[in-house]
Amino acid sequence: MEILSSLALGFSVALQPLHLALLLFGCFAGTLIGAMPGLGPVNGVAILIPLTFAFGFDATASLILLSAVYFGCMYGGRISSILLNIPGDEPAVMTTLDGYPMAQQGQAANALAISGVASFVGATVAIVGLTLFAPLLARAAIYFGPADYFALYVMAFATIGGLAGVDPRKTLLSALIGLMIATIGLDPATGIPRYTGGSFNLYDGIDPIVALVGLFAISELMFLLERAIKDRDAAIRLTTWIPEAKVILGTAWATVRGAVVGFVAGVLPGAGASLGAVMSYSIEKQVSNKNGTFGKGDPRGVAAPEAGNNSASAGALIPMLSLGVPGSGTTAVMLAMLISLNVQPGPLLFERQPDLVWGLVASLYMANVMLLILNLPLIGLFTRLMAIPTWSLMPLVVAISFIGVYSISNSTFDLYVMIAFGVLGYILRKLDITLVPLVLGLLLGADMENNLRRALSISGGDYGVLVASWISVALYLATVAFLALSIWLGLRDRKRGPAAE
Amino acid sequence: MSIRLAGVAIFLVAALYAWTAQDYTASFGDVLGPSVFPVMVGIPAMALALSLVVFPGGTVSWPSGDRLLRQAMALAALVVYALLLERLGFPIATAALIAVVAIILDGPPGKSLLIGVAGSLSLWVLFDQLLGLPIDFLGSFFTG
Repeated sequence: MEILSSLALGFSVALQPLHLALLLFGCFAGTLIGAMPGLGPVNGVAILIPLTFAFGFDATASLILLSAVYFGCMYGGRISSILLNIPGDEPAVMTTLDGYPMAQQGQAANALAISGVASFVGATVAIVGLTLFAPLLARAAIYFGPADYFALYVMAFATIGGLAGVDPRKTLLSALIGLMIATIGLDPATGIPRYTGGSFNLYDGIDPIVALVGLFAISELMFLLERAIKDRDAAIRLTTWIPEAKVILGTAWATVRGAVVGFVAGVLPGAGASLGAVMSYSIEKQVSNKNGTFGKGDPRGVAAPEAGNNSASAGALIPMLSLGVPGSGTTAVMLAMLISLNVQPGPLLFERQPDLVWGLVASLYMANVMLLILNLPLIGLFTRLMAIPTWSLMPLVVAISFIGVYSISNSTFDLYVMIAFGVLGYILRKLDITLVPLVLGLLLGADMENNLRRALSISGGDYGVLVASWISVALYLATVAFLALSIWLGLRDRKRGPAAE
Repeated sequence: MSIRLAGVAIFLVAALYAWTAQDYTASFGDVLGPSVFPVMVGIPAMALALSLVVFPGGTVSWPSGDRLLRQAMALAALVVYALLLERLGFPIATAALIAVVAIILDGPPGKSLLIGVAGSLSLWVLFDQLLGLPIDFLGSFFTG
């Protein structure tokens, strides 16, 4: 019953005209951003954050807008996967495997409809999960003391890189680089300037938003310039827009399985939507691939990963809202926005600002319905917008990033910081060092140091306090187990040779 | 090789970082002081960077000459934009930025220029006129 009254409060917030307008705009923009190759949820959301500041939106309105964009991207990514064989964003990679072959066989309308419905089911399952589980997790997290939070952050840094295919050393190094950057500026406890080189511009530290836009938007431009731009196949033309209901119904179980697997992947720290899609696809392949049809245009191979990436993206909101530790790259960027607006996610958020939490949840239910409408009957609009050439779109994106960052503090110093982070992000990505742990370090560094300080001043300087509670011990054990597992997987893959991905 | 070099670079930065931290002292405040946390971060970073030097993982393929040149040109355009934004004023600087980046991305020059002018004017209308952000139409170079 408590949940129902909370949801009623949420809908009263979500139905305010401004929030409704932002939701509709976000769904539309998100689908478009997702559909455009080269623009994905992380850089789309990063670019929009300074703009929400410029518009003067409060935390609730900003969060509704960004979440709508995030969800829209998950729907939109499939369009170019199916029609162009280019994933519109990273989580949509798995959709190309069976989506493009279906489109080649004249089944494009079916593939788009199946993936649209699967996205809807996946997101719905995860939003229901969010409604039920997030408050429970938040209630449990009330018992966390400073030492436990410190342990939780250590675990978040160690696990956010994900399990498969990543060198855990690089993930940890990325997080440590982020923590180093986070200590630049005046030390909050003693007022001593650290690593400022005497520059007053750095006394406030590096603004995470400025760093984020550089890391994601500017480095993406560098990657775009590295690739050949012109060799892109023409999109497959649709002969009909009308899907066959029978084919969609045939994927019902694949969709449900994909949604559940994706949700679990999303809630786990560090997995996120991409891994959700990969896991959903591989499990569905093991369950259903009896005649070897997967990879050749099997509708279930389209339904499972789309359900998976949508439910994982919603699931990733759970640890972000209830613990303040994001489960994916995009939710890390959204955390940056909340912190900049002086909203500290975590267990107390549910008590202090229920209108924000439940307004967001209610908005997500509505966004999902809007997105289904945008992505089934209005799909033709997006396929036409997708034909906009990259050379005309990307410069506008760059210009908007610059205005957004400039408008935060009206200083060109921030522009140089952004460009420098763009170069840093490009080099790190080339070295196969993922940026998400770095962002997390940059965001949580100050809070991590504060919790360490608090724990040590309670104990009078005795470091034993860090492992004094069973919560922190359990978190450290989980971290060690996770690292051991990922090192073991890495060594096993190396023995099998580079062919196995 | 690139991984090894990056390992060396990160090691040096982390070492400098941890070394500098030792100078940060405060006689007041809390038990931890301003230097402990940076040292806690710097030392594992040094160890991990060193392990990348000794056992480098993965390979890196850097872009070839002409691609690298395009990237350098784009970066130069971004830096010049930051330098000239307040001097030229928003619309002129932004139109030039959009046009130059579009041309570097292999856009046809005429159309790129058109998109630059149209894009920058509409962004100016949106941000200055509708949102009221203080963005000057003409910069200090023209007004004095």
